[in-house]
Amino acid sequence: MSTLIMIDQPSYGSWSGREALDMAFSLAAFDQPAALLFTGAGVTWLRREQDTADLGQKSVEKNLSAAPVFGIEAIFADRAACQRYGLDERSLIAGVTLVDAISALLNQYDHTAFAG
Amino acid sequence: MADTRSATFALVITGAPYSSQAPQTALGFAKAAIAAGHRIDRVFLYGDGVHLASALCAPPSDEPHWPQEWAGFLEQHGISAIACIASALRRGLVNEAEQKRYQLPSANLLRPFDIAGLGDWVEGRMTSTRTLYFHAGG
Repeated sequence: MSTLIMIDQPSYGSWSGREALDMAFSLAAFDQPAALLFTGAGVTWLRREQDTADLGQKSVEKNLSAAPVFGIEAIFADRAACQRYGLDERSLIAGVTLVDAISALLNQYDHTAFAG
Repeated sequence: MADTRSATFALVITGAPYSSQAPQTALGFAKAAIAAGHRIDRVFLYGDGVHLASALCAPPSDEPHWPQEWAGFLEQHGISAIACIASALRRGLVNEAEQKRYQLPSANLLRPFDIAGLGDWVEGRMTSTRTLYFHAGG
């Protein structure tokens, strides 16, 4: 059973995105196929070279860079949301696949979930 | 047509009581599902949903006590309910084992809720016919 975990919350200011990432990592740890889709304000997770020293929080970029190591199959980002938040392919972390047709992507998965 | 009489549900609650409607919507669904002959396999509390398992909630007497309502329902139907340990520890919800481990002044997990990892959510998705999520909303 393949699962798409969706993150539509900004990278800082809410914890639900981090908890969605934990869900994805947990699926992968139990050998369940899992991928991530960032939409809406969630695409801010994908910005390259995040500096969180002043925030007193760990960088989500570091968490996310572990995704392939944990066995997450793909990291997708909504292209329109990336444009809205001023992100192009050069400002995104490596390994992100931009997608235009979210509904077509959802149809490829048996199960979809948000953290909150 | 599928035989829906044999459906089993895993419920995931991520919204807290009293700041969201998620726990009461989930309870309404669970009661209706059982009344219709379905089975609730398990309930998993995640994120802010873990507050539903607090033994220290004390709402005004003329308001529903959602943790107690849920606890009574779970016991009546013998349903397993788990609060995610990572979510719970961050939000100050601990059982006696975690109280000892972290040397905290008290434990506050309401029975019959239990504390376990996300593996329980993964297992619930695999064993239940459907997994439904009850979020806090916008």
